[in-house]
Amino acid sequence: MFWFAEGLIYRRQDSVFHTIDPRVKLFVSIMLFSLSLLSNTILEFLIILSLIFFIGVLSKTLKRMAKTFVFSLSFLAMVFIINVLVGYDIMFSIIISLRFISVVSSTSIFFLTSSPDELELVMKSFHLPYDLIFAFVTAVRFVPVIMLDAIQILDSQRSRGLEIEKGNLIKRIKNYLPVLIPLIVQAIIRSEELAEAMESRAYGYSKKKTSYYSLRLRKRDYFAASVSICFMIAFILAIYFLHI
Amino acid sequence: MIEVKQLHFKYPTMKNYVLNNINIRIELGQIVAIMGSNGSGKTTLIKHFNGLLKPNEGFVKVFGKDTRDDSVAAFSRRVGLVFQNPDHQIFSDTVWNEVAFALKNFGFEEEVIKKRVKWALEFFNLIQYKDTSPLLLSGGEKKRLCLASILAWDPDYIVLDEPTVGQDFLQKEKLREVIKMLATRNKTVIIVSHDVEFIWRLQPRLILLSNGEVAMDDTCANVFQNNVLLDKCGIVKPQFVELFDQLTPLLTHPPLDVLEARSIFLKLMKKGE
Amino acid sequence: MLCGKLTPLIKFVDFTFSYLDSPTPILKSVNLEIEEGEFVLLVGPSGCGKSTLLRCINGLIPHLYSGTYKGKVIVDGEQVSEKNISTLATKVGFVFQNPENQIFMFTVEKDIVFGLENIGLDKEEISRRLEWALKILNIEHLRYRAPYELSDGQKQRVAIAGALVMYPKILVLDEPTSLLDPKTAYDFISTLKELNRSIGITIIVVEHRIDLLAKVADRIIVMDNGQIVFDGPFKEVIKEKNLHLYGITVPPIINLQNVLSESGVNFPRYSLDVKSFSEMVKKEVFKVD
Repeated sequence: MFWFAEGLIYRRQDSVFHTIDPRVKLFVSIMLFSLSLLSNTILEFLIILSLIFFIGVLSKTLKRMAKTFVFSLSFLAMVFIINVLVGYDIMFSIIISLRFISVVSSTSIFFLTSSPDELELVMKSFHLPYDLIFAFVTAVRFVPVIMLDAIQILDSQRSRGLEIEKGNLIKRIKNYLPVLIPLIVQAIIRSEELAEAMESRAYGYSKKKTSYYSLRLRKRDYFAASVSICFMIAFILAIYFLHI
Repeated sequence: MIEVKQLHFKYPTMKNYVLNNINIRIELGQIVAIMGSNGSGKTTLIKHFNGLLKPNEGFVKVFGKDTRDDSVAAFSRRVGLVFQNPDHQIFSDTVWNEVAFALKNFGFEEEVIKKRVKWALEFFNLIQYKDTSPLLLSGGEKKRLCLASILAWDPDYIVLDEPTVGQDFLQKEKLREVIKMLATRNKTVIIVSHDVEFIWRLQPRLILLSNGEVAMDDTCANVFQNNVLLDKCGIVKPQFVELFDQLTPLLTHPPLDVLEARSIFLKLMKKGE
Repeated sequence: MLCGKLTPLIKFVDFTFSYLDSPTPILKSVNLEIEEGEFVLLVGPSGCGKSTLLRCINGLIPHLYSGTYKGKVIVDGEQVSEKNISTLATKVGFVFQNPENQIFMFTVEKDIVFGLENIGLDKEEISRRLEWALKILNIEHLRYRAPYELSDGQKQRVAIAGALVMYPKILVLDEPTSLLDPKTAYDFISTLKELNRSIGITIIVVEHRIDLLAKVADRIIVMDNGQIVFDGPFKEVIKEKNLHLYGITVPPIINLQNVLSESGVNFPRYSLDVKSFSEMVKKEVFKVD
């Protein structure tokens, strides 16, 4: 059902790229994102997109990137048509569309190749407030559980004669109440139980916590980071001095 | 009648079949228990009885109609399913409306709805809560509310998924009485349960599932004599059946309950004097 | 010569509690003493206050749930109302009923380590305790698994591990097996007994399934309506008449002995399971071999 979101969801994969420190992956994503905003000609975008393509191959995520790509194409077509209708010239519209693709693909690189564990460690390294990080971790941990709950609730209500496909728009929205309310109630009950469990395991004992797990940069991380920086510098120089 | 023939089922996202070649017929007026280890397919099977799930191969017919030929709502009118967690269905602003929900969905008339809801709430001792929010009831009361909601529309088949979990002795006794009462009214009650002692007191027909297949379908007494199968399914015998095993030939059959066991022992001890 | 008892590990002194939104007390003048190393079963009908009592031991009451708090609850020499929950977490471990909602992290290892990170232990100590907990609960093979890859029984074991690594003296469990099938429940309770025996941890468990705990609990406390009705060795209390009025499902074989005793039949020994009952009956009553 959520096929287009495939380009944003992490899945375990054994590729070299996945093993790179998540902070470096974040840097690569942000770098490509910024360069996409900076670029103005088709050649520039082709260079960026080829690099993204290369990373896609390296991390074995090309297929899923492509799925999001296909989704953004339809969105793209809309952007393109509106631009043309409003009166911007065709070249400009093409540039806008290419920028859109680049921005979306460069963002998805980070999310496709970083597990929620890594996201947590990145947030810790930026010294974000722990409550926020914990909220994020809990949310990701329980999303599949909540989805399962939703299915069970739907089964229960359908067994009581609820037909969610029937009726006009207003009736259909009303039909979602018997599913939404138990879902919300379950979420509230769950958060109460979580709170009890958290407190019982000394959450909030002190501001100073041990980090049993930490990120450590290795040779491959330095290598990837240097390559990215060189690419970035070369790209910027090429834009301003070679006027590509 | 519910007829299941050569039912094969697997979930779309999974490789293995959860149910393999199930063949069962359940008539009206029976009490049927379905037991088996976790993952044996019990809940998956009962979801076929009202069409929530449809077979990959084979068919399920309820009163002669294939479950693929009509909506879940249509089948639910005659086959009521009560799932394990009451919090998965309670949503209305009042207890009254909670029970009336299904009746409204099934198109009952206002007058009939009023009568049925009143009966159901009185029968389960919940009438005093009729204008209260159902979310404020205790766990046991919520379970009774779910049962009341189902019985209000008077289905012919009542399917209960683990109804005794978290229930204390008095609540279980009440449940047992309700089940017996329903059977006398020519309803069929199908129970999925782990609770061997509860099942033993009911003496139902017992269907044992193992690895998605029907391992045994017989009287409760016979199934609990099959040591090999019980071991395979990880099922512990009811204590009185085990007592009978240990004390044969002093006992001629496993006692149904403590009263029967007592009279048997009193007789035996008189003989010994 | 050893003289006197150690002060009780847990002590309730004339303790009354009502929740914030309720006028009636859920616990009424409770007096209770539990010694170190005991294995206590706490039972009673729904709403009798047993779950509330548990939460008074580790501080969830009054710190997370406020209300009217009268009397004293003393755990390991200190008043619960004067210590915060996070400190009490190193004395009292709590295992909840729902296996799902007490595992927060993405892997078993991370979840077990959660409490230790919170109390700021150094990495070597964390590592030591982690290995110990994985071993003692037989879950080493589950170390890197995600919660959705675990069965409910495995999740409950991980929950115990997460509590045990805090090295508590007391382990409190609120209906831990109610969502487990009988065989898994039996294994779980055996593990608890083994922990009680090997490391001497005091165990207080609320359960409806008496049959699982018959041979394992030293002491049983029956509550009703906020008060303790019966409190004593399991073998004594279980003989009481009318336990079923307190919502307790007395195991059939024990029920049979109680009922026969009322009819004037007394056996030489009181048995807690079918096997020992049958053997006793065959040898000593019917003189059969």
